Amino acid sequence: MRWVENTFFDHLDKFGNSLGYENFGIAFMLSMVPWETPTDRDNFIREITGQDVKGGEPSNFNPDYLEF
Amino acid sequence: MVSGGFRPEAEQNNPFSVSGTGGNGQSGKFVAEKAAKAAQLRPSGFTQGMNTAISQQISEGGNVATTANAANPASKLPSGEGIAQLLGAIEPLDSEPQEFRPITDGIDGYSGRGSEVIPRSLNPNNRQIENVDLIKRYLPDLLNAARIPGAPDSYKRMINSLMREIM
Repeated sequence: MRWVENTFFDHLDKFGNSLGYENFGIAFMLSMVPWETPTDRDNFIREITGQDVKGGEPSNFNPDYLEF
Repeated sequence: MVSGGFRPEAEQNNPFSVSGTGGNGQSGKFVAEKAAKAAQLRPSGFTQGMNTAISQQISEGGNVATTANAANPASKLPSGEGIAQLLGAIEPLDSEPQEFRPITDGIDGYSGRGSEVIPRSLNPNNRQIENVDLIKRYLPDLLNAARIPGAPDSYKRMINSLMREIM
């Protein structure tokens, strides 16, 4: 099992990092939206934040990084 | 004197026996007076038929046949006791008028009331409480997702940060 784009956890990564950890509750709810494509989701994030999307890109995925 | 029969010399058989005033004679004057009288009795400008109908309604008395409350005030308005009950049911929302409150109303440490008057849903601490609730409830799943091979660093950092928050 590997990290897959356009899934709940991928959405959570993007929304949580783009909206800020303090808005985790909102990010959680928005991650449950069945976004048609990652592009649609990212466009939505750009619209509401006015900034580029933050969060891990597939090329940056690092399976070894975990503190706990 | 002979009575009856056709008399050629009679007035009605005289073709030159025409009133000197013509149409403005007594007969015409009478019609003009009647017209003026009718107009005087019809000040509202209604047509003659309408005026007659209204006059008939007025003379018969009673309420005008309509559903408008204004036309039948007595039949629709509540009684004095009903009004008193209605007014008694309306209570003031707040004894202090809102327009007299300072602009700092709702902020602690300034004039006006403190943050206790702000609805709970607008309290910024609620968001923190909501975050902690969500993290606690879904922590096992969030942790498992962080262990998925290929999970981005940003996700792991976020989970680490949120875990620190609830500890």
